[in-house]
Amino acid sequence: MLTCAPGSLVPTQMSSPPPRSPPVTTGMPFSSLARAEDENFDFLFKVILVGDSNVGKTCVVQHFQSGIFRDTQHNTVGVDFTVRSLHIDGKRVKMQVWDTAGQERFRTITQSYYRSAHAAIIAYDLTRRSTFESIPHWIQEVERYGAANLVVMLIGNKADLWQQRRVLFEDACTLAEKHGLLAVLETSAKESRNVDEVFVLMAKELMARNSLALGSEGALGSLALDSSPVLVGQGPRAKAPCHC
Amino acid sequence: MLPGLCLPEGERVCTRPLEAGPVLSLLSPPDLNAKRKKKVAHIYEALNSDPADVDALRRLAIDEGGLLTDEIRQEVWPKLLNVNTSDLPLLSGRSLRQISKDYQQVLLDVRRSLRRFPPGMPDEQREGLQEELIDVILLILQQNPQLHYYQGYHDIVVTFLLVVGERLATPLVEKLSTHHLRDFMEPTMDNTKHILNYLMPIIDQVNPELHDFMQSAEVGTIFALSWLITWFGHVLSDFRHVVRLYDFFLACHPLMPIYFAAVIVLHREQEVLDCDCDMASVHHLLSQIPQDLPYETLISRAGDLFVQFPPSRLAREVAAQQQAERTAASTFKDFELVSAQQRPDMVLRRRFQGLLRPEEPAKDVLTKPRTNRFVKLAVMGLTVALGAAALAVVKSALEWAPKFQLQLFP
Repeated sequence: MLTCAPGSLVPTQMSSPPPRSPPVTTGMPFSSLARAEDENFDFLFKVILVGDSNVGKTCVVQHFQSGIFRDTQHNTVGVDFTVRSLHIDGKRVKMQVWDTAGQERFRTITQSYYRSAHAAIIAYDLTRRSTFESIPHWIQEVERYGAANLVVMLIGNKADLWQQRRVLFEDACTLAEKHGLLAVLETSAKESRNVDEVFVLMAKELMARNSLALGSEGALGSLALDSSPVLVGQGPRAKAPCHC
Repeated sequence: MLPGLCLPEGERVCTRPLEAGPVLSLLSPPDLNAKRKKKVAHIYEALNSDPADVDALRRLAIDEGGLLTDEIRQEVWPKLLNVNTSDLPLLSGRSLRQISKDYQQVLLDVRRSLRRFPPGMPDEQREGLQEELIDVILLILQQNPQLHYYQGYHDIVVTFLLVVGERLATPLVEKLSTHHLRDFMEPTMDNTKHILNYLMPIIDQVNPELHDFMQSAEVGTIFALSWLITWFGHVLSDFRHVVRLYDFFLACHPLMPIYFAAVIVLHREQEVLDCDCDMASVHHLLSQIPQDLPYETLISRAGDLFVQFPPSRLAREVAAQQQAERTAASTFKDFELVSAQQRPDMVLRRRFQGLLRPEEPAKDVLTKPRTNRFVKLAVMGLTVALGAAALAVVKSALEWAPKFQLQLFP
C-alpha cells in the first residue's frame, strides 16, 4: 500500500509563506559545457524533460545548471539541453538534460530525442490542474518512444505558489504508483527547492541500475531498486525519500 | 508575472520604441552618411513612383543595410507583402479571448515574451503592447481557421507590432502567415520538418567536410528550428539585427531563412569541426547563436547560395533524406526562374549591383561544381553576388511561392 509523505497535501505543510524575493542566486558550483572538464566522467546520463507548456521546465533545468532562477524565461522553441557534472559517491556523473517545448505540436519534434535518453522527467505545474491531467499522455509518449528501461520521474513544479495549489501531492503519488514511476517530487525553481534533489536522485538510481546491469556490486543502499515508486514530499522530510 | 496586463481600450502607446540605428557599420561616418542618404533617396524614389517600384524595393531591402529605419519599414513592408494600406479594416481581437481555443497558449507565450521588448520600455507601455500582441494573434487565427498557432509565432508578430503598430501589423502578419509562414502553421509540423531537410543539402553543396562531420555527429537540424519558424526573432537579442533580417526575408523566397541558417552554420565551420563529434556537443554549439554575426556578409552569401543552389536543385537530396519522390515539375519551375534572370535588362541591373560589391568573393560557394546547365546559369549570376540574389527572389516571394510550395509540399 502506498504511503506518502504526511502533511504534504495541505498548504500549512509549508512552514512559512515564501517571501517575495528577487531571483534567487545561490553559490552553486557552475558547470557549463566546459569541455576539458567534461572529458573526465564516470557516468553520462541523458535525461529528457517533458511536460505541458509553461510548467517551468526550462526554469528547473536552468536552476539545476546555474543555480539561477529567471523570472523572464521565455518559451522554448524546439529542444535545448544543458549539462552539469555531479559528484556522487566519489564518482563524476555528467547529467545531460534535454529541455523540450511544451506545445503539443512540437511532440513530433521531441519524439526523436526519447530514444537515446536514459531517463525522463515529466513536469507539471501544481497550480494548474490541466497540466497534471496531461501526465498520462506524457507517460504514454515516453513509453512509446523511449527505451524500454527508461527511468521516469514526476515533478510538480511551482511549489512556492502553494496557496494556489490545484494538485494534491497524494494524487501525484497515486498516479506515479499506478504507472510504476521512480518518484514524485514537488519542486520550486524559484525558491531553490528540491531541484538538485530531482537530479541527484535520478543520477543515483541510474548509477545503481547501471552497476546492476554491469553485474558489479554497486547497488546503492539508500535506494530501493524494486519497481515501486520512491515518493518524496515537499517540506522538512523532503530529503528523506520514503520507500513504499 | 503580469497581473495587470490590461490597459484601457484606446490607450495607444508608442509602438516604435527602437529607432534602427546606423547599420552600415563597415563604412566610416562621412561615407556612411552619404551612402545612407543616397539609399534613403532611392527608397523614396521607388516608393513614390506610380505604381511603386516593388522590384527596386526588394533589391533595396536585401542590399546592404536593408531598409535602414522603422519609419521606412512602415511604408515598404506593406509593399513587399502586397498589402493595401489605404483602407485598413477596424478590427480588434479583444473580444475573441473567450472563444479562441488558442487563447491560453498565446497568453502563456506572450506573458513570457518580456525579452522581446526594448529593455528600457516602461512596464505599462510594454504591457499595453503585450495586450495588442494577443489581440493581433487571435484576430489572425480567427480569420484564418486553416492556420494553427505555434510557439514562436508570437516572436514574429511582436516584431511587426514593434515596427508598424497594431493596426498595420494585423494585415501584414496575416499575409505573411498565409504565404511565408504557411508551412509552419499546418496542423502538424511535417512541412516544417521538410523545410529543415533543406539545411544539410545546402551545407553539403558548399562544404562537404562540414556536412559529413555533422552527419556523423547525427546532430540533426532541430538546432535551427527556432531560427526558421521565428525568422531568428527568438534567438537574436538585438532588435536591429532582427528587423534587418526581416527586411531580407520579406523581400525573398519563403525558403530563404533556411539558406540563412545554412550560412550561419557554414560561417561557424571551424568551431563546429573543433567540437566533439557527438550530437549533444554540436547541437549545443550551434543552438547558441553568436550575437556578433557579420549580418551583411551572411545575407549576401545566403543570396548567392539561393541563386546557385535553388530549392529545386536541392530537392533530390532533400527527397532522398526523407525518402520521398519529387516530380520534375519543381525543377522545371526553377529553371524558368533562373532563366528569367538572364534576360538582358535583368543582367544589366545585376551588373550594376555587381559593381557596387566587387569585393564579394564567390569561390567559397563553388566547391562542388556540377556540369549541368542550372549550375552554369547560376555561376553567371554569382559574379554579381547580391544583385543576383535580389533578382532571384523578385519573382518568387509572392507570385511563385504559393505554387512552388504546393508542388513541393503536396
